[in-house]
Amino acid sequence: MLTPSIKKPPPPPLPLPGFEHVKRSWNAKYEAYAARILPGEFYVTRRDEGIYTTLGSCISACIRDPLLGIGGMNHFMLPSIKEMSDSHAWGSAATRYGNFAMEHLINVILSNGGARERLEVKIFGGGCILQNMSDVGQSNIAFVREYLKTEGLQVVSEDVGSPYPRIVVYFPATGRVRVKRLRSLHNNAIVEQETSYINTVKSKPIAGDVELF
Amino acid sequence: MAKTASELVSDIGGLITLPDVYLKIDRLVNDPKSSTTDIAKAVSQDPSFTARLLRVANSPLYKVSSTIDSVPKAISIIGVTQIRSLALSMSVSKCFAGLPNELVSMENFWRHSLLCALAARLLAKTARRCDPDTLFTAGLLHDIGELIIFNRMPEQAKQALEMVLDSQDEMAVNEAELAVIGFDHADVGGALAVRWHLPPVLTECIAYHHNLAGAMQHPRETALVHLANVIALMAEVDTLELDDVEPIDPAAWEKTGLDLSVVEPAVRAVQTEIVEIEQLF
Repeated sequence: MLTPSIKKPPPPPLPLPGFEHVKRSWNAKYEAYAARILPGEFYVTRRDEGIYTTLGSCISACIRDPLLGIGGMNHFMLPSIKEMSDSHAWGSAATRYGNFAMEHLINVILSNGGARERLEVKIFGGGCILQNMSDVGQSNIAFVREYLKTEGLQVVSEDVGSPYPRIVVYFPATGRVRVKRLRSLHNNAIVEQETSYINTVKSKPIAGDVELF
Repeated sequence: MAKTASELVSDIGGLITLPDVYLKIDRLVNDPKSSTTDIAKAVSQDPSFTARLLRVANSPLYKVSSTIDSVPKAISIIGVTQIRSLALSMSVSKCFAGLPNELVSMENFWRHSLLCALAARLLAKTARRCDPDTLFTAGLLHDIGELIIFNRMPEQAKQALEMVLDSQDEMAVNEAELAVIGFDHADVGGALAVRWHLPPVLTECIAYHHNLAGAMQHPRETALVHLANVIALMAEVDTLELDDVEPIDPAAWEKTGLDLSVVEPAVRAVQTEIVEIEQLF
């Protein structure tokens, strides 16, 4: 146990290959580093560090292997809701972005030693923070639930829907999550981040060749 | 870019002004030679204000047994300085409308202000020796500096909000403003209050609701607005956990004589009250 009187934070733990670019900062309250992920990003760690993000109508899945303490968080949304509702199958172009985000996270956890049958999943977000975007959050929630069901992964806890943006801090080593609702003053800044992400996603379509484990 | 809060406020000039009816009442309240009849006359000259005043006087905000159907009756039941507070409160939403911005919807901003006003009013009644109507007005106006920053310095305001989102545990908005701009919304609101010649109690509540030590003349009222702001935030995100919102300055308890037990009932009360009050102003 670290003593709370530590003034100078220790150097950050070594990131897994591929995550060196993610910004991390020291959190005195949790006495740990935490990586900040933005819409479209994800982060996986096997160290005692946190991952945090802010969510409007986007979803973050927090997944870990509790035995090894390896886990991570993603942050995504589906680009076109209309496209999605027009299509009854979950394999539409829209859901591909969700699949992509989920598979990336899961694959990196597995490739670092995690076992699929041990994966523990928590989901957050999908808020309805703008009135004229009420179905966006719901569609994202529906997608992630359906995805996890198909993959046979159990959700152990969740905080989804409702009219609030959220800040989520997740510690894969322990599974601890801190979800804080944000005041509506932050709605527009969050929507703007999510909108600019979704526009980027739309402008450069991804290939449909995500590796499946 | 404005270097100080007062510079920023002097820039906004004609964007937001106080209505004539408030200025008239204010002058009469401060004039020892004036009578309540003079004040009633000044109020009655503004028919739309009169109508709204009577609507508020008969609302659940004032639980009076008889119907208040005239301005003199309203003044005698509610009180002269309270009518002045009300005149100001009723112009706040118009002032807000003069400060459009891309960062926050007026609806959401107004809601926070009104929740804070209701909480401040309630706490003033519990704490005693404070005028609930003054505290209500202070609550409505406490964050007006935010709208001025959003309207006049949108880029920096956005940077400050992004800094809050980037912080791991939701750093306080005013701290982010100080870091990005060099002054915060309380400084700006305070400068506006001074420019508007608002009563010192309102100026202090607005200027020091995040910095209680700054309030020299009205520390108690300022501390009440500080507490009311936290209660408004809790009511908004629908929580009873203090940990979920900005921390309360422990000095606020000392200055008001209140304790933690007021929080939970206040959160619930303002969540209920706002439903009936929202349409009044």
